[in-house]
Amino acid sequence: MRGEIRHIHSGNDGDTPHEATPRRLAAIIAGDISGYSRLMQIDEEGTYARVKRIERDLVEPTIAEHHGRLIKTTGDGFLAIFDSPVEAVRCGIVIQQSMVGRNASLPRQHWIVYRIGVNLGDVIIEDGDIYGDGVNVAARLEGIAQPGQIYISGGIYEQVKHKLVCGYQSLGDRQVKNITDPVRVYRVLPDPSALMEGRIRPVIALLIAGTVCLLAVAGGAFWYLWIRSDSHMAGRTPAPVSAPAEVAKVTPAPVVPQAAPKTPATTATPAIKQQPSPQPIREPEMISLPGGNFAMGSNDDISEKPVHQVAIKPFSIGKHPVTIREWNACADAKACGFTAAGKEDAPVTDINWNDAKQFVTWLAQVTGKKYRLPTEAEWEYAARGGTQTKYWWGDQFQSDMVNCKNCIAAAAVEQPMKIGSLKANPFGLHDMGGGVDQWVEDCWHKNYQGAPSDGSAWVADGDCSSRVIRSGSWRNDARSARPASRDRYDAVVRYPTHGFRIALSP
Amino acid sequence: MEIIKVIALSATLSLLSFAAHAQGTPAAKDAYLYFVWPQDGTVIKGAFWARFGLRNMGVTHAGDNFANAGHHHLLIDVNDPLDPKEPIPQDKSHLHFGAGQTEARIELPPGKHTLQLVLGDAKHYPFDPPVVSKKITVTIK
Repeated sequence: MRGEIRHIHSGNDGDTPHEATPRRLAAIIAGDISGYSRLMQIDEEGTYARVKRIERDLVEPTIAEHHGRLIKTTGDGFLAIFDSPVEAVRCGIVIQQSMVGRNASLPRQHWIVYRIGVNLGDVIIEDGDIYGDGVNVAARLEGIAQPGQIYISGGIYEQVKHKLVCGYQSLGDRQVKNITDPVRVYRVLPDPSALMEGRIRPVIALLIAGTVCLLAVAGGAFWYLWIRSDSHMAGRTPAPVSAPAEVAKVTPAPVVPQAAPKTPATTATPAIKQQPSPQPIREPEMISLPGGNFAMGSNDDISEKPVHQVAIKPFSIGKHPVTIREWNACADAKACGFTAAGKEDAPVTDINWNDAKQFVTWLAQVTGKKYRLPTEAEWEYAARGGTQTKYWWGDQFQSDMVNCKNCIAAAAVEQPMKIGSLKANPFGLHDMGGGVDQWVEDCWHKNYQGAPSDGSAWVADGDCSSRVIRSGSWRNDARSARPASRDRYDAVVRYPTHGFRIALSP
Repeated sequence: MEIIKVIALSATLSLLSFAAHAQGTPAAKDAYLYFVWPQDGTVIKGAFWARFGLRNMGVTHAGDNFANAGHHHLLIDVNDPLDPKEPIPQDKSHLHFGAGQTEARIELPPGKHTLQLVLGDAKHYPFDPPVVSKKITVTIK
């Protein structure tokens, strides 16, 4: 593609080595639904919708999570390539295991069951499709796989056998259609002990499994329907720890126009033209911090080492974590994924990293200001408030300073506590420690070996499927409430103590 | 026989629906959670891959409300009893696998450590009854 553009610009001057044969070695995974035409016969529209949903919610994200590339989805199947055979097989296992869960609530004749084949081979990539023997073998493996099973070729087996602790059952050499040489085939057993079971008493196991399935499936279906209708009625109840009375009350979330001297001219932004907000957005209260140097980290935990000097540029940070009121303004604008229930002055919870990113993206767009998530270094700098002690008030723990587990003397505090309930740190910031866990921009690194020293977000060479959370929560102990304490969580997963605060570049 | 089956079925149905009314998400009756690796008593050098085994239930993403499916949590050196009325805690000794992971790279300081798996529902609550593995002990050299 890039080559073609260059041709247009500079003419064919021959300085671009043309990618003549875009060949590469890849782990190819082919999957298809067993009995697809039968399913379509029973319920055409329903099956189609379910398959599309499975592709969107399960197949595509799972391939992406395992660093694969989806080549295409056909009516009843998919084809993807991976650089790593281990990741390809893992991806197959996740898809198969997830399908067990999805089918559990349905009657057997509606089960969608994939057969999966994985092969290692040379492929030619052209126009977004792939070709070659390697692809054909993957497709043949899939064709001979039992429904719900993963069959891999000998080439894949050699690569994964010592890396993935699975059972592998050799099925010997198989002649596959239109391929001259026989292919060595292995069946993957995510659970090695299943190999033994499968051999010993198949009949008894089948009988038992059949009965249990019947009960579980019928019960499950009933329960699933019930839960479904229930969850539709109840809407979203995020923080299960708060009193049920609060949760049930769905907050209308009015955008309060009070005290907004620095409200921007929101209508100037083209993005909200089609949806002019009736009232100006009330921005979260920000505290601007001077730049400075500080020693980041501590020797209290291996993840906090080594202590290193970081230079922070001036920036602003939210005085409090983002509240339910502030969050719901974004939800009302249809820019955030869900409406949160609970007291408006409480920090919003059950937020994953993507949710937090959506919020700052929206806020930056409607205000025209550089709102963003803080970096991990900025967060710690702000939490320390100019101190280098274990806590911002000193090295000794004191009760009633932070909202952590067994840290507040007053009994039966409603959680999460509303913002500003406890003392601010020397920078005037509340709940930098305890309260709600707070997402920052950085990807997870297990320690500070190689961390940047300029206060920027550390994204390179990290595990970006996990992002850093700071502060600890009301359910964690005092150790987690230290400014240096750090932890991580899956970026795509919500958890009831996770919230965030925002930052603003000048 | 048929009648007994029907009675058993309806009993299961009503039990399941009541369980849903109460606290926990119902677990599959014969759900079995265990460590594929390491096994109890394993001596390990350095970091290792822990692999999670689950029978008669499925693994799914946190947030997904599919019946008979949940996601893994690995408890390291945890002695506090599990509270079925609270979400499984999240900290350095309660690792979450809400993206549907069935294995994890674990690094522990040298010495004896206990490991235990707990299956969580869409909202990170333990199932009813809780689906937990045997608590195993491993030694890191």
